[in-house]
Amino acid sequence: MAEWEVLAARRDALRARKNALLTGAFGAVGLATVLLVFALVAIIAVNGAPTISWEFLTQPPREGMSAGGVGPMIFGSILLMLGAFVMATPLGVFGGVCLAEYGERSRLMRLMHASVAALAGTPPIVYGLFGLAIFVLKFHFGVSLLAGWCTLTLFCVPAIVLTTEAALKTVPAALIDGGLALGLSRWQTLWRIALPYALPGIFTGVILSLGRAVGEATPVLFTASVYYSTAETKLGWETLRQPVANLPYYLAEGYRQPGVVPERFIWGACLTLIMLTLLLNAGAILIRSRMRRRYL
Amino acid sequence: MIATMTTPKQKTAIETIDLSVAYNGKMALKGVSLAFPENAVTALIGPSGCGKSTLLRALNRMNDRIPDAEISGRVLIDGKDIYDRRVNLTRLRREVGMVFQKPNPFPMSIFENVALGPRLHYGLRGRALQEVVEDALRKAALWDEVKDELHKSGLALSGGQQQRLCIARMLAVQPRILLMDEPCSALDPISTQKIEELITELGTRYTVIVVTHNLQQAARISHYTGFLMYGELVEWGETTQIFERPARPETEDYIRGRFG
Repeated sequence: MAEWEVLAARRDALRARKNALLTGAFGAVGLATVLLVFALVAIIAVNGAPTISWEFLTQPPREGMSAGGVGPMIFGSILLMLGAFVMATPLGVFGGVCLAEYGERSRLMRLMHASVAALAGTPPIVYGLFGLAIFVLKFHFGVSLLAGWCTLTLFCVPAIVLTTEAALKTVPAALIDGGLALGLSRWQTLWRIALPYALPGIFTGVILSLGRAVGEATPVLFTASVYYSTAETKLGWETLRQPVANLPYYLAEGYRQPGVVPERFIWGACLTLIMLTLLLNAGAILIRSRMRRRYL
Repeated sequence: MIATMTTPKQKTAIETIDLSVAYNGKMALKGVSLAFPENAVTALIGPSGCGKSTLLRALNRMNDRIPDAEISGRVLIDGKDIYDRRVNLTRLRREVGMVFQKPNPFPMSIFENVALGPRLHYGLRGRALQEVVEDALRKAALWDEVKDELHKSGLALSGGQQQRLCIARMLAVQPRILLMDEPCSALDPISTQKIEELITELGTRYTVIVVTHNLQQAARISHYTGFLMYGELVEWGETTQIFERPARPETEDYIRGRFG
């Protein structure tokens, strides 16, 4: 009996040392990651915050972009995002439903899944050039909001398809069985039971991909962007055929041409863009937790 | 092995004829012929893996969900084979409801859980729908407990209440035959007692078929019992006869707790 205790005591000591070591290592890595992100945001916030004012957020640039604000760029970014949201959500969700429902059985669907996964990892510049070739030139949309919407939609859809599929796969088989045993058709079971259950997950995927889209310059670079716009922003049918200013492109061009846009404006626009995506994500988290609290 | 077939005194509600089911080529059910009497409770008992759940799931074609399931033989309701190609699955499952081992309420309100079926199947709404929901909840002995919180999530209920909600959900679709796959095995003793009382009550108006691994439960709640082993029906008869004077030695061994 005593020998067993001696043996176990040795192992216990070893285990405790290993435990402490690993806890420390993971803790350090975790902390470093958090600090890195925090530092990034903090640096941008410190440099950008003094520039942020009501005027900066709402007014168009003035005096050769050296004064005024970035109002049209913010407006353009939101406009681009809204269009992409409206177009990409149904397409992506429908695609995800198809993959989740028919995915495992057919070879064609497995091939589709692999393609979509590859598309989701395709660099945004490729979408930008594709959009230029197809929407701007082939379809004669020109460099316009419409072409930007279409390109951003393509950019967003693969990620939405994948998250929708993943969310639907988390629906317990027992719920599906319950629906079918009640005499619901496959479609009714999907629509009434599986989709509502998966909705928070799908929603997260949509918001994440939109957040990514709003910050990317390259998909809209050749398809929808103008460097700046000093005109008062008006909405109308003709807006569809006109290019729009937007934050990522403003940042890229503004930085490339030093001396034209004051540095503090770049910092300010940077912070604005980050705030926009943070706001989007915060809103998503809020809505999602509400959805979950309701019936789950 | 030849099943001991006593002719039921009551009309048959659903009947299997030489029913076999194989998963991936492995036989789970071998040539079972069994007539379930109408408006009575029939228990299916037997050791784990004996095919009792497979038999139950064959009665409303839930095995269709399993990709490599092969089914042969016939299952008759009113003389019509439910495996006929022309059979409408929705209609079949409207007539043959099912409750599962683990309660599986939908992630929606108590009311919606029960209302979903009648709304989709019969287009009910408003007052008529409310009445059907109330009636189903009453029949499932749940109404008094939930009548003031119908808007609450079905998942907020206790396990036993959830199972009764699932029973109400099934009853709201107006079935004739109720299949229950070990409906109490995930529940505590008090909830189990409630469900058992409910099954006894339902047995007067519905044809109830209960799979259970609990022999005392089978003895308490059923009028008829079928004993299965290795995918075959060993014995079938009135519950009192099966438990007091089993005809076959395997049945006797199982009932006396010598195996399983």
